[in-house]
Amino acid sequence: MWVDLLITLVKILFVFAVTVGFFAPVLTWVERKQSALMQDRIGANRADIMGFTALGLFHIIADALKMFTKEDFIPDGANRVLHTISPIIALVPALLTFAVVPFGGQYTLFDKEVNLVISDLDVGLLFVFAIASLATYGYVIAGWSSNNNWSLLGSMRTASQMISYEVTMGLTIIGVLMVYGSMKLTDIGAIQENFWMWGIFLQPVGFFMFLTASIAENKRIPFDAPEAESELVAGYFTEYSGLKFGMFFMAEFIEMVTIGAIMTILFLGAWHIPFLSSATLLSWFDFLGTTGSNLVLMLIHVGVFFAKVCFFIWLQMIIRWTLPRFRYDQIMKLGWKILLPLSLANILVTGLVILALN
Amino acid sequence: MAYYVNRNLKMTWWERSYIPEILKGMWLTSRRFFYNLFGFIPFFLGTEKDRRIMTVYYPEEQVEYPVAYRGRPVLAQNEDGQPACVACGLCEIACPAYCIHIEPGHNTGKQNQYERWPDVFNIDYAICIFCGNCEEACPEEAIFMSDDCEISMLDRKQMLYTKEQLLTPVADLQKRIEFTRNMYAKWNY
Repeated sequence: MWVDLLITLVKILFVFAVTVGFFAPVLTWVERKQSALMQDRIGANRADIMGFTALGLFHIIADALKMFTKEDFIPDGANRVLHTISPIIALVPALLTFAVVPFGGQYTLFDKEVNLVISDLDVGLLFVFAIASLATYGYVIAGWSSNNNWSLLGSMRTASQMISYEVTMGLTIIGVLMVYGSMKLTDIGAIQENFWMWGIFLQPVGFFMFLTASIAENKRIPFDAPEAESELVAGYFTEYSGLKFGMFFMAEFIEMVTIGAIMTILFLGAWHIPFLSSATLLSWFDFLGTTGSNLVLMLIHVGVFFAKVCFFIWLQMIIRWTLPRFRYDQIMKLGWKILLPLSLANILVTGLVILALN
Repeated sequence: MAYYVNRNLKMTWWERSYIPEILKGMWLTSRRFFYNLFGFIPFFLGTEKDRRIMTVYYPEEQVEYPVAYRGRPVLAQNEDGQPACVACGLCEIACPAYCIHIEPGHNTGKQNQYERWPDVFNIDYAICIFCGNCEEACPEEAIFMSDDCEISMLDRKQMLYTKEQLLTPVADLQKRIEFTRNMYAKWNY
C-alpha cells in the first residue's frame, strides 16, 4: 500500500520535473536557437554570467526573473476573478493529460510490477481529449474577462478554431481505436512492439491529420490566428503580464510536449525500438539479475520515448518557422471542408480493410 | 490604363494538394538547420576557425569596413606630432551642418616648418552629418573620414571633440588617403 503510494508519488514528481522543470524552460531556449539556426543567425546569446554565455541558456533564468519581477497588471473594467483564474485553467489541463500518458512499459523491480504511467485508465485516450478540450475555457475566459477588443477577438477565434479541429482530432482517433481495439494508452503502446504494427504504417493519413489538428489545437503558426501578432496585438493574452503571461506561455510549451507524447504513443511505436523486442533486450542484460536488467530496460525505454517526443517537438518547431500563417477563412475551410471529410473517409477505409482481413 | 493583378494563379494538382509543397519548404529549412548545427560544432571544438554562419557577433567580432565608408571625421597628425591642418577654414565653409569650429594660430617671428596651425579645432559629432564635404574641401590632406562609427554618448556635451581628441597619426589613415587621392583626382583639383 505505502509502496504503491510512494511509487505513484515518484512518478508524479518525475512527470513534473520533466515537463515543468525541464521541457517548458528549455523549449523557450530551443525555439530561439532553432529558429536562429534555420535562418542563418546565431540566436539568443546576450545573457551572460561573468562573460560566460553557455550558448544562451542563461536566457531561461533571465526570462524567469523578468516574469517574477514584473507588475501583475489587471486592466480597468476587467473581471478580476476570471482574469486571474483563466491562466490556471489554461495551464492545468496541459499538465493533467500527463496523468494517463505512459512513458514506459511494465517492469519487475524488486518483485514488484511497476507500470510507468501515473494512472492506467481504461478510457485513457478519452480522458486525454476530455481534459485537453477543457483548456479552451481558459483561453476563452482570458480574452473575455480582460475588457479588450483584441483579446475578445482572439478568444472568439480560439473557440471556433479549437472546436472545429477537435472534431477532426476525435474522428482521427477512431481509426486508431479500430486498429488497436483498445482505449488504454498502455495497451496501444504495448501492441506496437512489432515494428509493422506502428500507427504510422496502419494509419498514415490519420497521422498527418492528427499532426495538423494537434498543431491547430495548440494555436501555433500556421494556425496561430487566435494570437496573431500582426492582426490582434497578442490575441487572448494581450492584457496579461508577469507570471500570468508566463503561465500561458508555459501551457503552450507543455502542450507541445503533450502532443509529442500522444503522437509517439499512437503513431510512432511508443517506447519501443524497431526490431528490438523487450525480451531480446532483457536477455542481453540477463547477467544483472531480474531487477538490474529490468532497470536497464526501463531506462532505455524511457530514453527512447523521450527521444521520440523530442523528435516531434523538433518537427513542430520546423513547421512553426517554415510556414506562414493561414488566413482565418482558410483555417475554417481546411478544418471543415478538407480534414473532416478526410477523417470520415479514413474511418470508412479502415473499417473496410479490417472487415476484409477478418 | 488599369493595372491587373492575376490572383487566380493556375496551380497544378500537385501544388494544390499543399502537402508536397509544405514538405519541400520544410526540407529546405531543416537542411539549413542541420547545416548550421553541424557548422557550429567544429567552431566550438576549435578545429575550425570560422563558423559557417555569416552573422557577425557584433561587439565581440567586427568586420573591416570598406575604404569608402564614412565614419567620424578626424584630423591627420604628421609624424612630428603636429596637425597637417593649416587652419584655412575651407572645411568650416564647406560644412553644411556648421559643426566645425576653427581658431587659427600662426607663426610669430621664429622660423620653423609650420607657418599656420589651428589653435582650436572642434567638431561637434552631435551636429555632424558625415557627408564628407570637409574631406573633399581640404587642400592639405588634413581631415579624413575614419572608419570609426561607435561615437554614441550618454551626454551631448561629450560629443564636442577637441583638437587633441581628433588627432590621428597619418599612418593609420594611409588607406583612406590613397582612396581620396584616387577619388578626387577625377575632377582634377
